Amino acid sequence: MFRYYLKLGVLSLRKNPVLSGLMVAAIAVGIGACMTMVNIQYVMGGNPIPHRSDLLYHVQLDGWDPNEPAQEPDEPPDQVTWLDGSALLSAGEARRQVLSYRTARVMQPNDPEIRPFQVEARATTADFFPMFDVPFLHGQGWDKSVDDSRQQVVVLGKEINDRIFGGENSVGRTVVMNGDTFRVTGIIDNWNPVPRFYDITNNPFTDPEEVFFPLGVAVNKEISSFGNTNCWKPISDDGWQAFLNSECVWLQFWVELHGDAEVRDYQAYIDAYSESQKALGRFPRPLNNRLNNVMEWMADQEVVQDDVQVLLGLGFLFLLVCLLNTIGLLLAKILRRTGDISLRRALGASRRAIFSQYIVEAGMIGITGGAVGVALTWLGLRGIEILYGEFDFIANLVRMDWVIVLSAVLLAIVAALAAALYPTWRACLIHPASQLKTL
Amino acid sequence: MEIGPIWRAMMRNKTAYVLIALQIAVTMAIMVNAFAIIQERTRLIDRPSGIDEDNIFYLSSVGFAPDFDSRASITADLEMLRNLPGVVDAVATNTVPLQGGGWSSGLQTTPGADVDGTGSAIYFVDEHGVDTFGVDLVAGRNFTPTDIEWHESDSNGWPPTGIISRAAAETLFPDEDMSAVVGKTIYVNNDQPVRVIGIVNRLQAAWKSWDGVERSMLVPMYRLSSSTRYVIRTEPGERDQLMPRIEEMLAAANTDRIIRSITTMTETRARSYVEDSSMIKLLVFVVGLLTAVTGLGIVGLASFNVARRTRQIGTRRALGASKRAILRYFLLENFLVSSVGILFGACLAIGLNIWMVQTFELMPVSWYIIPTAMIALWMIGQLAVFGPARRASLVPPAVATRAV
Amino acid sequence: MLQMHKVSKIYRTDSVETHALREFSLTVSDGEFVSVTGPSGSGKTTFLNIAGLLEEFSQGTYELDGRDVSRLSDNERSQVRNEKIGFIFQSFNLIPELDIYDNVDVPLRYRGMKAAERRERIMRVIDLVGLGSRLHHLPSQLSGGQQQRVAIARALAGQPRFLLADEPTGNLDSAMAGSVLDLLSEINEAGTTIIMVTHERTLARRAQRNIMVSDGRVSTGASNLHVATAANA
Repeated sequence: MFRYYLKLGVLSLRKNPVLSGLMVAAIAVGIGACMTMVNIQYVMGGNPIPHRSDLLYHVQLDGWDPNEPAQEPDEPPDQVTWLDGSALLSAGEARRQVLSYRTARVMQPNDPEIRPFQVEARATTADFFPMFDVPFLHGQGWDKSVDDSRQQVVVLGKEINDRIFGGENSVGRTVVMNGDTFRVTGIIDNWNPVPRFYDITNNPFTDPEEVFFPLGVAVNKEISSFGNTNCWKPISDDGWQAFLNSECVWLQFWVELHGDAEVRDYQAYIDAYSESQKALGRFPRPLNNRLNNVMEWMADQEVVQDDVQVLLGLGFLFLLVCLLNTIGLLLAKILRRTGDISLRRALGASRRAIFSQYIVEAGMIGITGGAVGVALTWLGLRGIEILYGEFDFIANLVRMDWVIVLSAVLLAIVAALAAALYPTWRACLIHPASQLKTL
Repeated sequence: MEIGPIWRAMMRNKTAYVLIALQIAVTMAIMVNAFAIIQERTRLIDRPSGIDEDNIFYLSSVGFAPDFDSRASITADLEMLRNLPGVVDAVATNTVPLQGGGWSSGLQTTPGADVDGTGSAIYFVDEHGVDTFGVDLVAGRNFTPTDIEWHESDSNGWPPTGIISRAAAETLFPDEDMSAVVGKTIYVNNDQPVRVIGIVNRLQAAWKSWDGVERSMLVPMYRLSSSTRYVIRTEPGERDQLMPRIEEMLAAANTDRIIRSITTMTETRARSYVEDSSMIKLLVFVVGLLTAVTGLGIVGLASFNVARRTRQIGTRRALGASKRAILRYFLLENFLVSSVGILFGACLAIGLNIWMVQTFELMPVSWYIIPTAMIALWMIGQLAVFGPARRASLVPPAVATRAV
Repeated sequence: MLQMHKVSKIYRTDSVETHALREFSLTVSDGEFVSVTGPSGSGKTTFLNIAGLLEEFSQGTYELDGRDVSRLSDNERSQVRNEKIGFIFQSFNLIPELDIYDNVDVPLRYRGMKAAERRERIMRVIDLVGLGSRLHHLPSQLSGGQQQRVAIARALAGQPRFLLADEPTGNLDSAMAGSVLDLLSEINEAGTTIIMVTHERTLARRAQRNIMVSDGRVSTGASNLHVATAANA
């Protein structure tokens, strides 16, 4: 029977090509508009590290200005000071911990033909690589002991390795940055978590840094941060050491904790740490420390922008308009075929049969609309990419994966069936033979 | 004139009309709110930064040699830049308006750690800053060479004079005349005194979405670090040819540093507002597409109605309706559906706007957008229905006698 | 009242020319009740369409109520239809979405009459056809005979100079047909000219005069009703 309905559906769609085309177009445009926005929202709010996001916790300590919170309403600062970061790091109370900051270095290739160029760099401790599950093409990160011994080692991104070493396995070779020689320990394979969760203070939608080197080396060489630095209290004295001892926040601190018990223990530990600092005359605000896992932290920082939410809402309203449109057109089509329906009823078709026939037809419109809608979604994303032009961060947001493709088709079918429900129900109400004579 | 019977006829076959009215209502709600956002973003984009954007570009000089002498480099570079034909003036500073990264400090009128400072953007400049940015000094005087100090990047020293923007002056001294603000002392870093020696009409901060974007202060000092930003203002029309030349000259003058991020203010503005301008374009596109969908919906249903009512139209013609009367019938019918949709849409639009204002901190919609959208939708409806209505008017009266 | 002189109507398609009426001439006087009969394809409907100013014709002249209506514009013809002619159709042609009152109101609206006068006329003609108690019923809620009575009321509301009835009983059973014909006779006796097109010769008996149409012409020798019916009987 299903095949018979399919055949009837095809016949009926071909009989009114303009009307059928309008319906498919309405669904496709609605799906396209809606899914374009869903896609961007989905990527923006996506989980960049799904298998570990529940184990990684971002640490916030509130040692801010007694007169006003770091952010309304009563939010602790989003980064940590050197004093607190290095203290928590060396305490090592969590399974793993990483303290890092964003900076830049000038790379001086050995090849005199290549001019020195600036690279984005991250000064970090050793646990960065295993904690954030960084994939390596060659070699690996550095050992923890390197953090203490301040050896000048470096991990390179794939692109920079291609640029300097022509893509060879350069582990063990050296690069010169700002006059200092670093030994390569590893080359990172393609790796681009979106959002770049480990440092969302400094734009969550840029690519990861190209070069990673030990935090101890960076601090020792007085390499300043290229990221946000926020101070509530004037720095007491001139010089780098005064900056390290200041109340300025400029580093990101993450810990790895397994299970609620460990989270509770660590919360207790950082609260105790705050109390100990209060005893020293620091931390003038009431106790307000936070531990957020990856997804909580991104929600807390509102990584998904308001504009995207507005557009997403508009996208769904748009789909609604397209559905109203489709309902109207389907209804028109079915009312026009009242004679046909009542004839079928007179010839013995049950209500159920009429219902199935028209639902199958609507489903076909839905699938076609969904397929075209997926294409339109792709076009929509390309359009947005063009709109934002050379501003590269958008490229990370306009990727499409099979989840989106499937959801688009599914949404289209559900939408078409929802749109078909009322007109089909009306069709079922048509009495057998009642319409025959006014055909 | 015929509203009564048309309305009663519509009420006998509500569903199709309700669907169209709903479609118009949702379209109206989207349209009004999209216009509200477009208007707000346009207002943002249209704010001037205060500087001579058309003729300014900037670049960074990053010294990488461990013994790099920033002070010598700055002195030599500025000397060279300022003497270049086509260059109006140049300055070494930390950032430019709209750039996105910069320095801000709290300014206060009384010293003390417990006083809430007024956040203001800080531009480190020398006596060429005012001229290079092309900002208007509305009170007081510019810096002189004797005001300028040299400081290491990790020094806490702060020069004793400053020039502030009008917005900063108005926030700090709300009751004072601009000329009276000149000579007043303000404090940075809680207790370091700064005497206001001049006020510029407008100089935006580097962060366009900051609510204090109009507050800024020019500070007379060179801040020495390995990275320096040069801002260069050229004669009109000279910018584009000077950019590559200057880049080459600076790179060649000192090989212990790299020249990077050479950017015009025009690009900076485009990049800074790319989200807003893209939002505007997206919304315009969405509204256009939506209008097209709704318009096509009206065309589709009206065509269907005309086809279904051919006999009835013929009968009306036989009973004495002129072509114009038939045309008017369908236009009027659409006007009635549109009106219901539009009135409902206006309520929906206002409701949605109130919700958006609360959720996304948008500006409330300007009152005149609503009647404008109403008129637009009425016209779109009439335009959409005109084709089918004309076809209806061409139905020959003899259809009435055609055998069934 | 109505005078057609050598009216011809030719339908052209790409390959075929159909002569629907050939030099058709007919005169109907004030107050007459004339029936027009003929087999299918004889040109009855074309005659009706031309007499009712629903269609234009190629040659000849047509005078209605002392006025030459042969070459009027579409607008003028609409106006003449509205003011002088009342139509009764085989399939009633009531507007399904409108109730009885609004259906009868249709031609009056196109005349631009004041509301009070329209109301007065509508009530009068609906009473006349005996449906005063069904004012706000929809056509679908009425029997065929009742629907045709509404159509007659609608035709009469404009106080036309003559009624054009196209198979007025074609969709009705004989009892209903009889009552509709009685109504038409009454209307004719009250002074309204009626032209009734039908293919049923028995119905034509109710008219005072019968015109036979065949092959697009008035067929000679059959213009006397009594002769024709006598021959039939």
